[in-house]
Amino acid sequence: MAGRGGAQRPNGATQGKICQFKLVLLGESAVGKSSLVLRFVKGQFHEYQESTIGAAFLTQTVCLDDTTVKFEIWDTAGQERYHSLAPMYYRGAQAAIVVYDITSQDTFGRAKTWVKELQRQASPNIVIALAGNKADLANKRMVEYEEAQAYAEENSLLFMETSAKTAMNVNDIFLAIAKKLPKSDAGNANQQRQQGVRLNNEQTQPSESGCCK
Amino acid sequence: MSQECILSGMLSVTGKKVLHMDRNPYYGGESASLTPLDLVFKHFGKEPPKGDDVYGRGRDWNVDIIPKFLMANGQLVQLLISTGVTRYLEFKSVEGSYVYKRDGKIHKVPADEKEALASSLMGMFEKRRFRKFLQFVQEFDENDPAKWQGVDPNAMPAYKLYEKFSLDENTQDVTGHALALYLNDKYMNNPCKELISRCKLYSDSLSRYGKSPYLYPLYGLGELPQGFARQVAIYGGTYMLDKPNLKIRYDEQGKVVGVEDDKGDMARCDVLVCDPTYVPEKCKSIGKVVRAICILDHPIPNTKDAPSVQIIIPQNQVNRKDDIYVCVVSNTHQVCPKGFYLAIVSTTVETSSPEQELKPGLDLLGPILEKFVSVSDLYEPDDDGKESRVFITKSYDATTHFETTCIDVLQTYRRITGENFDPSKIQRQSEDGCQQEQQEQ
Ligand SMILES: Nc1nc2c(ncn2[C@@H]2O[C@H](COP(=O)(O)OP(=O)(O)O)[C@@H](O)[C@H]2O)c(=O)[nH]1
Ligand SMILES: [Mg+2]
Repeated sequence: MAGRGGAQRPNGATQGKICQFKLVLLGESAVGKSSLVLRFVKGQFHEYQESTIGAAFLTQTVCLDDTTVKFEIWDTAGQERYHSLAPMYYRGAQAAIVVYDITSQDTFGRAKTWVKELQRQASPNIVIALAGNKADLANKRMVEYEEAQAYAEENSLLFMETSAKTAMNVNDIFLAIAKKLPKSDAGNANQQRQQGVRLNNEQTQPSESGCCK
Repeated sequence: MSQECILSGMLSVTGKKVLHMDRNPYYGGESASLTPLDLVFKHFGKEPPKGDDVYGRGRDWNVDIIPKFLMANGQLVQLLISTGVTRYLEFKSVEGSYVYKRDGKIHKVPADEKEALASSLMGMFEKRRFRKFLQFVQEFDENDPAKWQGVDPNAMPAYKLYEKFSLDENTQDVTGHALALYLNDKYMNNPCKELISRCKLYSDSLSRYGKSPYLYPLYGLGELPQGFARQVAIYGGTYMLDKPNLKIRYDEQGKVVGVEDDKGDMARCDVLVCDPTYVPEKCKSIGKVVRAICILDHPIPNTKDAPSVQIIIPQNQVNRKDDIYVCVVSNTHQVCPKGFYLAIVSTTVETSSPEQELKPGLDLLGPILEKFVSVSDLYEPDDDGKESRVFITKSYDATTHFETTCIDVLQTYRRITGENFDPSKIQRQSEDGCQQEQQEQ
């Protein structure tokens, strides 16, 4: 069970520290949240992506100079579609990517609502990135780069235009978040997790926690 | 309510397609935890206090309307594990379990041998008899009559079992109410099998985390329905919150065909699961529960400043028919800011002045800053769903744990599907937590 975690190195040497963070994706339905995750975690893109990813969360690591940042990435599982995303979803998240579709002004408006919600409800130190996705569809653009950038600056958000289709800026936005996250022990997900107990069957632990704990 | 959330979870992980609609803009109905604190005041028709400093930050409050704890080895824990919902939740033990005695004092229910020896709950000789009883219960094996010591669990009534071990009335109260968690004394004449298995559940639960047999989720009970909901969504279920005025549509034979929302859109279904509030015409009232949610700025007196406790007031000790329960949680469970405590006192209503019935419990709390009292009806379905395909769960009863709720859930699951819930049929998700390494410079 253990051992598949981020500490793995081909030559067996473990150096630097490992920080684990919960990252959530937010935004209107069909802006490409699941596609961004799939691109980042598996390097894939599907034109007709089923609307949910079908996993509790996916993990992916990013290596900075002396630190391995392990993201535990939570997708909405489609619960945003009828405005039914539960507060539990972003509880304890240290990072969020709020996504809109550059070809739709509506989704940008909705993204702003999510930013407000996070500022109100999420942990005060949460790192928020704004992603203007589907940047490959520049000919259908409805949200200007400058407009989004100005909004991001006002609200101290990281900002990039991305494309899950071409992979443009996908790794970069996660990397930028990794850099901005506090690496002190206090900011580490594992630390916060120690607070409570997770239930499990001592004898037969299902595959669930695999590498995630 | 959360039975529906649990059922959607069980049904979706075993391959059914689930659409979940709720009239409220949040998950869990009555089992939600209200936040921020202003919402609690509004819920009970009270004016929230002006200014931010009275009760700390409003959003640090997650207030349950109905208090319940989980038995650490109980059925809800099993369901959380088998459905995989446990990954979204974190729990903490409740620090202590106390029982009230006629003398007006509360006594800790011993959590181990050492505490038992030091306990003022019973005298020396009684302790010895009680230990023999507990040993018998622990070693009892339903399938091995050789160990029954002459007790036929299916025939001998509970009171006879007490007699066999010469337990006095006081010890019977502690056993039946603080360990077996019976609400009243109706069990005394029933076969003792259930008493034995309930006592066993208590001690098995106690042995899991040590301090008490009870667990409580961080951020409140409202996390439970949310966790089940997320699991359903991951298995492809759809959620619609904030759907008021839902109308259930039937065919000529009275079989459900779907649910219509206030825009006239119809969602078709073969089976409908709901709580009694959606189909009052198919339910009957079976009693009332009174609950008082109290905000305190101090721990409960005589509990060694425990941040969380349960106190059971057995009915006999205060000349009632039904027990009174006190559940206390606080900042360690992330349900309120530091320095505050939430105590909920509840009981089954027996008279025409229900709030008065809570007095023995309220008296244990010390000064109360704020009190929200409510009386709710308990409903039970009057339709088994065979013809209508409408399966109705029961209202939350006065018990302070989820065992009866789970029995309802498992029975309803069987009524719906015609078979018992079988965790081995759960379709595991292959992508769960899969991972790749990626190097970035
Ligand atoms: N052209 C283009 N299409 C995209 C991009 N990202 C996602 N899509 C498509 O947009 C649709 C919705 O994507 P999805 O990831 O399911 O969105 P979600 O509902 O936010 O998770 C799918 O058909 C994707 O193939 C992108 O960057 N460019
Ligand atoms: Mg999606």
